[in-house]
Amino acid sequence: MDKKTVRTIAHLSRLTFDEKNGEKITNDLNNIIKFVDQLNDAETSDIEPLTSPLEKVARTRPDNVTAENRKETFLKNAPSSNEDYILVPRVVE
Amino acid sequence: MSIQFKTIKELKDMLQKKEISNKEMVEDTFTLIESNKHLNAFVTLNKEVSLKKAENLDNNPSNLPLAGIPIAQKDLFCTKDLRTTCGSNMLSNFIPPYSATVIENLESAGCISIGKTNMDEFAMGSSNETSFFGNVENPWGEGLVPGGSSGGSASAVAAGIVAAASGTDTGGSIRQPASLCGITGLKPTYGRISRWGMIAFASSLDQAGPMARTAEDCALMLNEMCSHDPKDTTSLDENIPDFTQNLNSSIKGMKIGLVKEFDLSKLDNDVVKVFEESKRHYESLGAEFIEISLPNISLSVPTYYVVAPAECSSNLSRFDGVKFGRRCENPKDLEDLYVRSRSEGFGEEVKRRILIGSYVLSAGFYDAYYKKAQQVRRLIKNDFVSAFEKVDVIMSPTTRGTAFKAGSMGSDPIQMYLEDLFTIPANLAGLPAMSVPNGIVDNKPVGMQLIGNFLEESKILQAAHSFQSSTDWHLKTPNGDIS
Amino acid sequence: MTWQTVIGLEIHVQLSTKSKLFSGASTGFGAEPNTHVDLVDMGLPGVLPVPNKDAFLKAIRFGLATNAEINQVSSFDRKNYFYPDLPKGYQITQMAMPIVGKGSIKIFANGEEKIINITRAHLEEDAGKSVHDLFDGETGIDLNRAGTPLLEIVSEPEIANAKEAVAYFKAIRQIVTFLDICDGVMAEGSMRCDVNVSMKKVDDSELGTRAEIKNINSFKFIERAIAFEIDRQTKILESGGSVVQETRLYDSVKNETRSMRSKEEANDYRYFPEPDLLPVVISDKELEEIRLSLPELPEQKEKRYINEVKLEESEARIIASSKTMANMFEDACLKTDDSSLVARWLVGEVSALLNKDNIEIDESKLTSSNFAVLIERISDKTISGKIAKSVLEEIWESGNDVDAIINDKGLVQIQDESLLENIAKKIIEDNPAQVNAYKEGKDRLFGFFVGQVMKETQGKANPQSVNEILKKLLK
Repeated sequence: MDKKTVRTIAHLSRLTFDEKNGEKITNDLNNIIKFVDQLNDAETSDIEPLTSPLEKVARTRPDNVTAENRKETFLKNAPSSNEDYILVPRVVE
Repeated sequence: MSIQFKTIKELKDMLQKKEISNKEMVEDTFTLIESNKHLNAFVTLNKEVSLKKAENLDNNPSNLPLAGIPIAQKDLFCTKDLRTTCGSNMLSNFIPPYSATVIENLESAGCISIGKTNMDEFAMGSSNETSFFGNVENPWGEGLVPGGSSGGSASAVAAGIVAAASGTDTGGSIRQPASLCGITGLKPTYGRISRWGMIAFASSLDQAGPMARTAEDCALMLNEMCSHDPKDTTSLDENIPDFTQNLNSSIKGMKIGLVKEFDLSKLDNDVVKVFEESKRHYESLGAEFIEISLPNISLSVPTYYVVAPAECSSNLSRFDGVKFGRRCENPKDLEDLYVRSRSEGFGEEVKRRILIGSYVLSAGFYDAYYKKAQQVRRLIKNDFVSAFEKVDVIMSPTTRGTAFKAGSMGSDPIQMYLEDLFTIPANLAGLPAMSVPNGIVDNKPVGMQLIGNFLEESKILQAAHSFQSSTDWHLKTPNGDIS
Repeated sequence: MTWQTVIGLEIHVQLSTKSKLFSGASTGFGAEPNTHVDLVDMGLPGVLPVPNKDAFLKAIRFGLATNAEINQVSSFDRKNYFYPDLPKGYQITQMAMPIVGKGSIKIFANGEEKIINITRAHLEEDAGKSVHDLFDGETGIDLNRAGTPLLEIVSEPEIANAKEAVAYFKAIRQIVTFLDICDGVMAEGSMRCDVNVSMKKVDDSELGTRAEIKNINSFKFIERAIAFEIDRQTKILESGGSVVQETRLYDSVKNETRSMRSKEEANDYRYFPEPDLLPVVISDKELEEIRLSLPELPEQKEKRYINEVKLEESEARIIASSKTMANMFEDACLKTDDSSLVARWLVGEVSALLNKDNIEIDESKLTSSNFAVLIERISDKTISGKIAKSVLEEIWESGNDVDAIINDKGLVQIQDESLLENIAKKIIEDNPAQVNAYKEGKDRLFGFFVGQVMKETQGKANPQSVNEILKKLLK
């Protein structure tokens, strides 16, 4: 993983760090990736990936409206809001 | 009469016999918290509400299973109207509008949530050194780590402040701190306890569980914590037994597996001696040891360090400074809002794991890492399924050693990751597992791990209880032995 | 250089479930901002999704109606990206195992019938809304729409021009409204589409680079956006350049498409299986139940109208193509026997009024029983066709009963032959010059006499009788 890849991954994750930290992070990430490369030793052709330990199927719910209006609570919790909306800096599309 | 170091059973007894009132019990708890402030085990205290609940109980006594018992709750569970931080700056001002199912379950059983315990940030860590709110101390020695991520809960129970606490375990976060602090902690089968309200780290690995002084208390807690929850589609609807029922059954003839591939020679000599002694003890109780092979077990840690970061990188995307939690000051545009809020809100370990997670999921690497890891995960699970055809439970040390000094792991993250080498496999497979105190080395506790087959919490509790009925390691405290 | 246009459409259909795909919040349109938002929709820490069974049933209806493969085992994946109206920072969608696989649909365009193949249709959750114009320097986020179930229908790149694209869009709209899985109200965003346009040389087998134009929600704009895009791409290619693969927005005011810079950088969605949701399984029994419950679709209706009800092909097609009109037709036919007259009036007068007011039949004041009575009164000659037209207009305005209108306004047709004959005789007496002119060969003047009798009877005379009487008297 070179510095450029790290910057790309950092952007995808919306994270930033300064030059000094950038070096340590790149090192750490490379060590971790080297560590997990051991996985290549395993013979896994024809093995179905395991997403959840539960070998079950989903329960679904019936189509009923069960939620109540919690507008005030949600807007109160937001870092910036007015009586109707959560606010963020102007987004240009 | 002091409540310190008492078990749930003992506290219930005291309340019933009116040796102490509910209010006094809660007051004493807060006194203990205060006098043990240096442990930094708590992030938020719930004094007013707790005292009010206690007063109510004094006026209207209750028969509920945990009525009046003060319980510490890991700060990873949402508690309505009570700050929930997950050990992070990102949520340092977050007041949830709802409570986790497991909190509601425990409170419906009558317990009193006296406060939220400190933890590694977003459950990522094995030493409670990554919390925004400072390190937690192990009551067994100054500057010693309690383990993590449920470090605060472990410390609070080990110091005798509370009889029990809730914890969560994704790669060992209940069992490892339980081992380093000399208490008993259990992670149930994946799906036993609802994840509704549990702030997610790695969704397919996270599970809540009890941390207490004894297997019996763990069973009491587990009875109340488990439920089938329609709000969590990964919540099991299997029958929930009374986990206290078979505790006293004899373990004569129980087959205990020893993992061939766990190379104990790499461990500290004294720790190995403790393990061997416990084996002998189990043999004296009539158990039989059988060697089993889990051929892919050595790949557990690398598998975990692909799967867990991948899931967490996605789970933590909701922390973006937009709808709740901390937002950076004066963001100049949306990108700035995201990047600064997240970079300021998260600590180093969390950022590292998010980056690894994003990397292993990114285009071009998905097959080589994430898919591969999920395939190896199935191999590991299959190994356990075969093993459990031959044995009832599997036994191993919980950790490589005893509690270490804070800051001693160095700056290489992988060293810390290897702390979880014995505990991670059970999370990958979704199996129930617990840690039981089984020795003291250099005045620091040692723990052993018991892993059970799916849904067989009762068997490992039985094995643990059997051990605790005939040994006294669980009665050792930093202040001396409990008589 | 002959360039061939290749178009593919991704249509997002909002399923008309009462509650959202993963939460119990209401999907109702037009509510005050942030009032139809659940803990789950807000993406609060610790919340978990629970799938809405009805969304699956609706998706399967679509699959069955388009002869598609139904994946009885389907699962969810996460699509990761950051945007303020996406609360969790990921969208739960179906990438690997969608509920509906390959299917097809028939379209009519440029006078021809064509089959367009559908690659897949999958369930996913909608995002919230970003409101840009209300605040200075800020954007408001409304999460009412976040979590609404969408069925994303992906066509094969088999559409050749803008007309076909619109026809395909209309065909999809027709099916989803007939199936009652979507209300089809474009103005409310019930259906939106992304259009992929690329150009290639006619004899090239490989497809050209495509540009994606996002979020168009009107037939008119689809046509215009495609036209602009074809022009833009052709110009680039003719000058030797190459088309950039990118996402673009259609600006309806300037009638142009523009590149969306911001979405370009974050293209790596890092899809992975949703660990909070286990696969959903639909049993054979459930599938069969859904199949049996499918309503009659336009194509089937059209066939039945032609073969059994004996309607003209063109009338059958028009009535069958609109759910509301088909319902009106079928209900009215239960109440009166003259189905061909019902059809003729629906396709003629009623359609004209609907177009004038730009509404659907079920939004008008016309009821099927009232309509049936109107048809009866024409059939039994109580009123003439012309009078019936004005009665219809009255119903359209007031919603009053046919018989009440006829009585109040005294519109009953005059059938009394002797009365009519007297009136006709008087007209003839009063207009000798015209009578002479007519008898000398000016046949067109016949209309003058008819007109005079009609005027004298305020239009209520039975036209056929008037014709016969005048013919007899003017011989």
